[in-house]
Amino acid sequence: MESNVFLSYGTLVTPIGIGIDANFKSLKNGISGIQQKEHAGFKQENWFLSTMENLQGNRFNTLLETALNDLKKSYPEALLSDQKTCFILSSTKGNIDHLAGDVFASARTLIGNITNNPNDVIVISNACISGVIAINTAADYLRYSGFDTVIVIGIDVVSDFVLFGFQSLFALSDEPARPFDKNRKGISLGEACGIIVVSKEKTTASSVEYLSGASSNDANHISGPSRTGEGLFRVVNKTIERAAIPHSEIDFISAHGTGTLYNDEMESIAFMRCELQNVPTNSLKGFFGHTLGAAGVIEVIVCMLSIEHQLLFESKGFEETGTTQEINLVKQTHPASVKTVLKTASGFGGGNAALLIRK
Amino acid sequence: MKITASSYITPTGAFLNGQLKFTFQSENWLKESYQQLELDYPKFHKMDHLSKMTVLATELIQSEGSLSELKDDELELLFANTNASQHTDMKFIESYTQQGNPSPSLFVYTLPNILTGELAIRNKWYGENTFFIAPQFDSNLFAERLYHASQKGGTWCLCGWVDSKVDEKNQVTEECFLFLVALNGNTADRSSFASALNELLTNYRKGNSGNSNR
Repeated sequence: MESNVFLSYGTLVTPIGIGIDANFKSLKNGISGIQQKEHAGFKQENWFLSTMENLQGNRFNTLLETALNDLKKSYPEALLSDQKTCFILSSTKGNIDHLAGDVFASARTLIGNITNNPNDVIVISNACISGVIAINTAADYLRYSGFDTVIVIGIDVVSDFVLFGFQSLFALSDEPARPFDKNRKGISLGEACGIIVVSKEKTTASSVEYLSGASSNDANHISGPSRTGEGLFRVVNKTIERAAIPHSEIDFISAHGTGTLYNDEMESIAFMRCELQNVPTNSLKGFFGHTLGAAGVIEVIVCMLSIEHQLLFESKGFEETGTTQEINLVKQTHPASVKTVLKTASGFGGGNAALLIRK
Repeated sequence: MKITASSYITPTGAFLNGQLKFTFQSENWLKESYQQLELDYPKFHKMDHLSKMTVLATELIQSEGSLSELKDDELELLFANTNASQHTDMKFIESYTQQGNPSPSLFVYTLPNILTGELAIRNKWYGENTFFIAPQFDSNLFAERLYHASQKGGTWCLCGWVDSKVDEKNQVTEECFLFLVALNGNTADRSSFASALNELLTNYRKGNSGNSNR
């Protein structure tokens, strides 16, 4: 039997709050970070984004510093600097203002300086599934590499580069993203930083047990999701098999749900094929936008809040079924018995990843 | 954990299992390599350099022992580099700063893990995949992750160090090193595995520099 792994939230810095409590309050009150930003896009177009106006100077560094300093409020410096603690960074574009140089260098330096941790920072850049893969990787380092604590940081900021790119793909919505809705038109980009502390023991009352995780490729298209949901279907089944639990034990699914026509359709097909179509499901992209490399981490933190508070958050923006397979989306935030949660992610490069956590 | 095959490609030549397979004569060495390997895969021509190098190096490995006998989700892909997708990133930035419009066909290659997607599509592989970024070739990272995979019951892993860097003078430095690892059986310890891996790459780099007079 493999040793137990627990996840505890470190911090969450998003446009709807700095710190876990502030974000919880906003989520509970239905406050979204997505707003129209004038002249933000290529050719000065207006787009709906979930961004933080108050990030001064180098926005990536400021966001990372803010998150690490908030982490230090709840985790002792002795733990962060311990030789048996290591950091995993999940990000798609890192400090993109540093191109043509090393976009991940500033994060390595900042993490080292702020935490005094002596180990190399492990960096994962695997598109939109980076965050879920990073948590799965952290569990491996804990189980097999002799670390007592692995700290996972998911971070990405909105930049011209990424905004113009999604604009060129016609993937942006001209209203706040509405994942899984009949009238969904695309994504809203967002920025955020989330930190999860992975350890061998339950460190706080809100810690959850990590059961299993996996990744799988669609082998279909580099920028278009599979029509059959093959990769997601496989990875969800693999994750459930590894946890050795029946499908019926899953109380809630935190889906990827970007708000594009094809992605959400693919997810609905995969969940139906996994016979999970009746399990309450949401996408948090209507609150935070699509935060790319941060998404998996911040969404797992919200799953932990659902377990802690026995509360399912609405799938913001969803009104009417808009996928050929009807799945059970959470229309309104409501109390519920939440013990076992499945988190999924899908992304460019055909990647899919999933993990299971339990109260 | 045992390396059963390896390949190495740079603008000067291509190697398989330590042996020079061919040297490149022209600037368009990726196309030359495609022709040398007699590939018929039109999608290749749309790919960025990272994906092209990876597809070629994988074909080399498969030229002496196909991986098609493995189950379609049996092979794990474990890739890393230093510069992520910097080469394509710079081209994409140029598309909107100098050529008038952000290019969608460049944008989709501005993520390093796209190369694992291209490999999966080409070979119909549905297995696990992860892309890491490290300041330099990190044999310990590979050794550690391979060990994790073996502990979790994995059997085969295709690993790669694939990098493409453009410097301020617009000089491009490119390298692709692939190695196939059988995870079960031989239980070599991680540090000796990492040393062997470093030695393998060092030899390729030496051998390659010896053939660079073209």
